[in-house]
Amino acid sequence: MMDQEESEERRRFRRQLKELKNLPTLPGIVAKLTRMAENPDTTTDQMGRVIAQDHILSAKLLKLVNSAFYGFPQRISSLSSAIILLGFNVIKSLIISASIFELMEQHDVELWQHSLGCAVVANELARRLQVSDPEEVSTAALLHDLGKVAMKLELPGPYQEIGAMVRQRHIPRYQAELECLGLQHAEAGGWLARFWMFPDRLVEPILLHHAPEEAKINPQACAIVHFGDILVRGLGYGHGDDVWVPPLSKKAWDILRLSREDLDDLLAVVEEKLWDVKGFSLEIQAGMEGRPAGGPANV
Amino acid sequence: MQQIPLAAAAPGMVLARAVLVSGDRVLCGKGTQLTEAIIDRLRHLEIGSITVEGHPLGVEGEKTLEEQLADLDERFSRVQDIPPLMYLKMKIRERLIAAQGR
Repeated sequence: MMDQEESEERRRFRRQLKELKNLPTLPGIVAKLTRMAENPDTTTDQMGRVIAQDHILSAKLLKLVNSAFYGFPQRISSLSSAIILLGFNVIKSLIISASIFELMEQHDVELWQHSLGCAVVANELARRLQVSDPEEVSTAALLHDLGKVAMKLELPGPYQEIGAMVRQRHIPRYQAELECLGLQHAEAGGWLARFWMFPDRLVEPILLHHAPEEAKINPQACAIVHFGDILVRGLGYGHGDDVWVPPLSKKAWDILRLSREDLDDLLAVVEEKLWDVKGFSLEIQAGMEGRPAGGPANV
Repeated sequence: MQQIPLAAAAPGMVLARAVLVSGDRVLCGKGTQLTEAIIDRLRHLEIGSITVEGHPLGVEGEKTLEEQLADLDERFSRVQDIPPLMYLKMKIRERLIAAQGR
């Protein structure tokens, strides 16, 4: 009976999350780009031109792809090279998420910095482990806490209650979420990502960042995002009163196979890059008018 | 190194990172010693912040080393039985201490 009640509640929250009353709707441009991507004759130039029609979006995309967490050695000044380098799936997820980021920057700078930091670590790990698509992993890391943003906007009452539980009882956030809502942010983020038709390879690391051992499609990416979250938290880029480094999944650790020397190197590189991230988020806070050098019109 | 707002820059400080314009053009290389003229120029170009050697500014609200180490202990307090994470903590601790070494 109890179980039934709980699942009833979960269903209700799930519905509420999906109604997305306060979350941005899918930009129309995504549907258009998806149609274009299905047509084998479409060129990246054509897709770049479609994105370029939205100047703010293009400036944001270029800024994201040029930021430290993708770690390209040279500046990417055109949308078509961004599409080639990052792949259409990543660009699509970034377009969908651009509006979420905007909310995060405005409402929760700490979570934004945590997400950027996690993406930096994930990118570095993905390169070291010679993952075939490191950008995909960075993007998953960037979005891993999507569920927190969704909860904050769609379930403001429970969200506050969860915050209070963390503060008063010193419990990790996901535990408070489970007690309060019967679901936790990773799950909510996973639903949302699926609902937005992110590719499964991106959904899984979001859904399982606290339970990477359950991964079936993309275990390596799940392990990387899981450890990225741990490492940035260790460095003090956490979120709110839930300051504790979460437990490390044994299975994820075995997949990563990092030696002590690897960890030493990783810390040195990441520390340097996190400086850029801090600068990047300060810059974004200061407004987009900064310097879209190369410009949105430059496709 | 420390990232400081340009308003706090003073002659004699040494850049720990290059100052870039348009994202990739180096305006002032790493190791440049700041002069009034350079600071003026940066101001005209509306550079917001720079990164300098050492730790010249006691930023308001910035924590002392002891406070930072206590925070570190707290963050790792629930994973003390996980050896790789204890190694990670030790390394972060070393880096925190080294960063204060001016």
